[in-house]
Amino acid sequence: MSNGPSRITDFIKKALFVDFIKGLAITLRYNVSRSITLRYPDQEKWVPYRRFRGQHTLNKDVNGRELCVACELCSKACPTKCITVVPMEDDSGRGIADRVAKVWKVELTRCLFCGYCEDACPTRAVRLGRDYELACFDLSCATKSKEELLEPQSIPETIKGGFVVKAKFVRSPEGIKVVPDLRMSKKRLL
Amino acid sequence: MLDTGTLIEVLIIIVKAWILTGIIFSLPMPLTWLERKVAGHIHVRLGPMRVGPHGIFQPLADTLKLILKEDIVPDRADRFLFKLAPLIAMIPAFLVFVAIPFGENVTIPFINKEVSLYLSDMNVGILYVLAIGGLGIYGIIFGGWASNSKYALLGGLRSAAQMISYEIALSFACIGVVMMTDSLSLVEMVRAQAGGMHHWNILYLPIGPVWFVIFLIAALAEMNRIPFDLPEDEGTLASGFHTEYSGMRFSYFMLAEYVAMVSVSVLIVIMFFGGWHPPLEGALFNLVPGIFWFMAKAIAFIYFFMWLRFTLPRYRYDQLMTIGWKILIPISLVSILITGLMKI
Repeated sequence: MSNGPSRITDFIKKALFVDFIKGLAITLRYNVSRSITLRYPDQEKWVPYRRFRGQHTLNKDVNGRELCVACELCSKACPTKCITVVPMEDDSGRGIADRVAKVWKVELTRCLFCGYCEDACPTRAVRLGRDYELACFDLSCATKSKEELLEPQSIPETIKGGFVVKAKFVRSPEGIKVVPDLRMSKKRLL
Repeated sequence: MLDTGTLIEVLIIIVKAWILTGIIFSLPMPLTWLERKVAGHIHVRLGPMRVGPHGIFQPLADTLKLILKEDIVPDRADRFLFKLAPLIAMIPAFLVFVAIPFGENVTIPFINKEVSLYLSDMNVGILYVLAIGGLGIYGIIFGGWASNSKYALLGGLRSAAQMISYEIALSFACIGVVMMTDSLSLVEMVRAQAGGMHHWNILYLPIGPVWFVIFLIAALAEMNRIPFDLPEDEGTLASGFHTEYSGMRFSYFMLAEYVAMVSVSVLIVIMFFGGWHPPLEGALFNLVPGIFWFMAKAIAFIYFFMWLRFTLPRYRYDQLMTIGWKILIPISLVSILITGLMKI
């Protein structure tokens, strides 16, 4: 360790503050580098990938008929028993079969977003979507009914996701939401 | 008898003192903002962003919070000293600026009066700065002593020990500059460095850079900044001497710290970087008023201190003492010898 030449170089390095200058160069580089802060919820929002498992959605086919045939496999597969399905006969052409769901609701407080329901679904009616802002002011919004889930998703399926977009912070009586600007003018990768 | 000329002179000095105090009093506000911004960007964060554009009004919000906070005096604390300490820390930090020159005489437009950009040009300016600057430490020691808290007491004691060790090296560095410029007056010191960068004391080879480094290290220790912020060592002493302080009294300590940082930056500029003189001779450089050169250099050093703070870890207490007594003081003694030989 303490042989001649290395001690001399150590002394010269100390006298010229070599290590200090190295450290200062690193911090200066970080100082001028781009910050990685995601300015959520003020100005930016993360758009998840399609594989993301957020709030459930119920899908329709191209003719606008409900894909759900109320087979109740999702509620059977659910490990926390948070999905309730009540089937009914309906020949008005609302669903793809005569059997549609009278009630299809999910209790998000108990849901653990495992995705077993979408695996179990034979018609790909139920999917876990990309909405992740689920907080609200009272418990009533924690149970999502069929009508709410049938509405189109806030992020269309055509968007691949996996980037940050500009967003707007919206405060309303129903709760707070961060609305992403999906025109993708200013997207950046995280 | 008092004639009009004397009266106007006195009036000008009073006005200058008011303006200077106002500027220095409000200076810590942008500096706290700057420090948090520098910290943020070095950490690859953004720092304050929410109050105003780029968080520029964050210091105002902080000031409001500090004013509204309860002013707690700990039970069984020495109440008189406890309340006195922040003022003792703060006032000398301001008094230092009495002797600091910011530029040569300027003529104020409209009233055609020539005014000097300093409160007084003492012929022992540097001694005054050292003496007054050393007083501020009493605030820290009193604060630590009066708090009736072990952390505060340890912080105060460390501060005292640190002060004793580094004041010597700091004074030696000042002696070096006095030898290089043949004057104790800060104004004369700057005048001696006129005429381009190669006349600055930092380039008084080979000894100028050595004095600069000694002064820089000792001054860092004197103003309790990282890597020598042992008196308020968050890691081991909660927050050292101001552990028990809250509200405005706490902010007085912070104010003193930031003003000390400004005065050290300004002193470095005056003593080593040619004060208000531009770095090169030439009409183009002389177009810019001296005060702007002065401010630009001082701001560069303020940034440097912040940059240093978020780069270096804190020294251990024994390392601090080793650097002070075993390295800085012997080097400064040798440097004085070399400076003397160069002056022959």
